[in-house]
Amino acid sequence: MTEPILPPLKPIPIKDRVSAIFVEKGNLDVIDGAFVVVDKTGVRTHIPVGGVACLMLEPGSRVSHAAVTLASRVGCLLVWIGEAGVRLYASGQPGGARADRLLYQAKLALDDAARLKVVRKMYEIRFGEKPPEKRSVLQLQGIEGARVRKMYELLAKQHRVTWTRRNYDAGNWGSGDMANRCLSSATACLYGICEAAILAAGYAPAVGFIHTGKPQSFVYDIADIFKFDTVVPVAFRIAGRKPGNPERDVRLACRDIFRQTRLLKRIIPTIEQVLAAGEITPPVSHKEAVDIAIPNKEQIGDAGHRG
Amino acid sequence: MLVIVVENAPPRLRGRLALWLLEVRAGVYVGKVSLRTREMIWHNVQEGVADGNAIMAWNTNTESGFDFLTLGPNRRLPVEMDGIKLVSFLPEKNTAETLNGSSEDG
Repeated sequence: MTEPILPPLKPIPIKDRVSAIFVEKGNLDVIDGAFVVVDKTGVRTHIPVGGVACLMLEPGSRVSHAAVTLASRVGCLLVWIGEAGVRLYASGQPGGARADRLLYQAKLALDDAARLKVVRKMYEIRFGEKPPEKRSVLQLQGIEGARVRKMYELLAKQHRVTWTRRNYDAGNWGSGDMANRCLSSATACLYGICEAAILAAGYAPAVGFIHTGKPQSFVYDIADIFKFDTVVPVAFRIAGRKPGNPERDVRLACRDIFRQTRLLKRIIPTIEQVLAAGEITPPVSHKEAVDIAIPNKEQIGDAGHRG
Repeated sequence: MLVIVVENAPPRLRGRLALWLLEVRAGVYVGKVSLRTREMIWHNVQEGVADGNAIMAWNTNTESGFDFLTLGPNRRLPVEMDGIKLVSFLPEKNTAETLNGSSEDG
């Protein structure tokens, strides 16, 4: 019997995936072409990485080269997270970036008028109303900060949680209060998914509009749009219950809210919508540009996925 | 909901299916995917099933609420009866006849 040749692996769209899977212990490897976690007793657990937006690797996991290759080929973002999911150490590239989209994003970010329009659109979607006219980005940030603090206070009161301010020490996980710990855990989930979506759509996570100077500036911009509809109320609700295992409870609740709000379906269209508010046409390739010699194959993944 | 059952399939196909679906029993895969993804997965099965056989069932807007496709020789053959797809189970002696033709229909 000759070995059959399987068709090349291709990523599927982010919107058809489940949000995130957390892997705590074990060796991530590839067996017979499938992505598996093997624990020390030899138990194998298959992970359908092709249907997952991002895989969160907690301390205690080891990843083989083959596993990383496979994850990138099916377009699954690998995120190495710290204890309890707060810190994001590094990430693998799930999709390729598209030059036209990167240039478009950069052009919007570099043009002050366009950037202001994008920022205004972000606040408009987020708060459900247009921000006041004739305000600079800095002034809008001030307005946003005040609203956010008020929302935190309101939610804390609703769920009977003691709240002083958003605060955590990245170097010392146990130090934060319950509400802050829940919030950190919940936002970490959201950031992972947003980064996967941004990369899959072909944009750069580092080129932010409100946030700047961080590898995930654009991730924070996009995550902020959804944060107060999704993970923040969830975090306060869980914190109000004083759970024994807050991280687990938060993740379960986040998964539910992501599903209920159809978040994975909404992220990429929202990114496009926000950027379109800049009212700049996507750059066309210059006249001297050399066309690709071999045309791209049709694929079912998102625009930035490497087929 | 999508269910794929493969019999006598090479390990590489089974591994491939485990990338998108959950293998709940040996050769039985379950998942929920979109139409295009389902077609892509079925294409993988077609290319990789070799001498084995496979069936894929999913829920859809038919009277019975689902539809299925088969591939490769098997004693169970899909038959259409006035718009409803049923399965005929061949007696043992006829198995050899079906071994030659793969029964794929839509």
